[in-house]
Amino acid sequence: MDVLLRAVAIFIEVAILAAVMYVLFTGVRLTVFDLGLGLRYKKVVTMALILAGFIVVVFFIAHLTSFYPDV
Amino acid sequence: MESLRELFWVGQEVYITEVFMPIIIIAAVLFPIIIVLFVFGFWRRCWLWMAGQKENRFEKWPTRLISTLAVAIANIRILRRSELYPGLMHLLIFGGTALLFLGKIIRLFSFGGITIPPQSIYLYASLIAEIGAVLILIGGGMAVYRRYIRRPSRLDTVPEDTLVFVWAFLLILTGFMIKGFRIAISEVGPPDWAMWSPVGYLVSHAFPTFITEAENEILVWHRTLIHAIPAFIFLGYIWVIRSRLQHLLLAPLNVFFRSLKPAGALTPIDLETAETFGVANIEHFTWKQLLDLDACTRCGRCQDACPAYFSGKALNPKQVIQDLKTHLYEVYPIPLLRKPIESRQDMVTEVITEEVIWGCTTCRACQEACPIYVEHIDKIVDMRRNLAMERSQFPESVQEALKSLGARGHPWRGTTAARTDWAEGLEVKVLSENSDIDILYWVGCTAALDDRNMKVSAATAKILQAAGINFGILGAEESCCGDPARRMGDEYLFQTLCEKNIELLKGYNVKKILTTCPHCFNSLKNEYPQFGGNFEVIHHTQFIADLISDGKLKLGGLDGNKVAAYHDSCYLGRYNDIYQPPRDILKAIGGIKKVELARSGPTSFCCGGGGGHMWMEEAPDQRVNVKRTEQIIEAKVDLVATACPYCLTMLEDGLKTKEVEESIKAMDLSELVVQVL
Repeated sequence: MDVLLRAVAIFIEVAILAAVMYVLFTGVRLTVFDLGLGLRYKKVVTMALILAGFIVVVFFIAHLTSFYPDV
Repeated sequence: MESLRELFWVGQEVYITEVFMPIIIIAAVLFPIIIVLFVFGFWRRCWLWMAGQKENRFEKWPTRLISTLAVAIANIRILRRSELYPGLMHLLIFGGTALLFLGKIIRLFSFGGITIPPQSIYLYASLIAEIGAVLILIGGGMAVYRRYIRRPSRLDTVPEDTLVFVWAFLLILTGFMIKGFRIAISEVGPPDWAMWSPVGYLVSHAFPTFITEAENEILVWHRTLIHAIPAFIFLGYIWVIRSRLQHLLLAPLNVFFRSLKPAGALTPIDLETAETFGVANIEHFTWKQLLDLDACTRCGRCQDACPAYFSGKALNPKQVIQDLKTHLYEVYPIPLLRKPIESRQDMVTEVITEEVIWGCTTCRACQEACPIYVEHIDKIVDMRRNLAMERSQFPESVQEALKSLGARGHPWRGTTAARTDWAEGLEVKVLSENSDIDILYWVGCTAALDDRNMKVSAATAKILQAAGINFGILGAEESCCGDPARRMGDEYLFQTLCEKNIELLKGYNVKKILTTCPHCFNSLKNEYPQFGGNFEVIHHTQFIADLISDGKLKLGGLDGNKVAAYHDSCYLGRYNDIYQPPRDILKAIGGIKKVELARSGPTSFCCGGGGGHMWMEEAPDQRVNVKRTEQIIEAKVDLVATACPYCLTMLEDGLKTKEVEESIKAMDLSELVVQVL
């Protein structure tokens, strides 16, 4: 039960961190296009940011799984 | 034994020195970067505004400052009875943010023994900040519900809107997570925390903690960074991108530079020196008109208020501003780069179509509704000026009215009446025969030449005679005040008529003018001074109300108990703040039960006759007067009182269209007064 609760807590924390990464990367995306980058780069920029976000979230999962208090 | 409060403070002091202060130091280092981003972001906007024409909006600083503070801090134009939900929502978000920042800043003073005892101020700061955060969550929740679930038609949502909601929510959530975790690892018991950090205390129950202090401190750092880094980036983001959150600065700026001249006075064109008439390109707008485009927050209040939009016409005032803004950014996609005119869309027929430009009745409902004083009408009239004076492109009926104005001095093509026909048998003094008068009765074209409105001018003359007023009329010498010409974009014709009238009036040494038409009233009072014509101008409802209150007129009552409502004329009400005198007249007449129409006073619904629309053809299913008539029918009145010849004509037409002309009568207030004299 404690293991399950710890997993749920880690999941919630990862979800919050993923949301934080989402807003930061979406902010970056909107900013670069607002600053004048051509719309033809939209797909490339979006894919790059999704990849970066994915890597970061994987890091967070690994980090929190190994460094999170026991419930 | 140390008190719980002292133990509590010791824990806070450790947090402040080892976590909070380092964050402050990092912030102090990063702050210059945020300043640079702010300067860059603001320069991007400013540079575009400076592409516009010059305009002096720097006079009367104290007045400007007071109204800016009133709107920005007290939210006076945002929180209104008709906009209670969004107004309250905004107040909660604004107030909550202010409290949150206040709480954070106060905490800076809780370190270093600046106050004694230091911990008290920290406790208050903690509570203030938490209250602020909760208010933001409530206001934000209301905003999310309204935007994504209720989805009013006036709101359009772009990705940046959603981003801001999620970002702000995460900042508050992570802030409470820091607080909650610090409480969870604290040795201090519940009572202090519960009282001074109620939300943090609740959240603390969700956190497991490490056994060792060192590991818990690392986790505090983690949580602090997860909050602080997005917070700093958010502050930078607002200013780098053209975010709607820049309304924090742009809205007060727009309020500060609002127009302080009379509402009804359009800006004249210097016909001798102007290189272009009206606006053809985005750069022809003034810098303030371009600031309007950036300051607009897309709230949609103008759209909801617009009678043309409500009637199904192509005009949408919010869309006009947004389309001009999009065009501005297309012409200047990045700083220092400007699209040549040949490769742009034509602003006046393609970006904003002629149908939209001619759809406006200049009723000013949009500007009245706008919380930050965006000026829609000036832009539309400037585009009309370009169409009329440079391109000779206007609706055919407009062309006919302008031709008649130029040739005959009135827009009523086809009338066989003369200017003095209405006065037959009334023994009204004409100035060319006897100029010994105290007040000039300026009749106006519609009241002089339109069959229905001739009864209004006759009624007014009878009232003046009954009160023993020494008045006269210009008779055949009177020509149009020029208002229709100016509103239809023909500034040259307006100035010609205006200057001719001023010369005539000065020739007779006229000082005081009475008029039955709010359009004439507005022109004579607010626009003639631009050309040296300074007269005391009074509307007939103001004059009659004064005569009644001075006891010079004794009124009886109407037969039967009639339910009556007053329809506010746009050019009397919104343009000149005259709402009460017509109501006082109605109150003084016996046998009337007075009611208010659903949209009355400053939010009154236009009759559809202004802005040249008295002379424009309209599609049968897009008629503004019919929509207003439907509102009058809903009010279940027997009588609708007016104070404007346009309103009288349009409402009578609307009542006939809805086939209720037998059960609901439209009458001018002067006609009602004459009936009960």
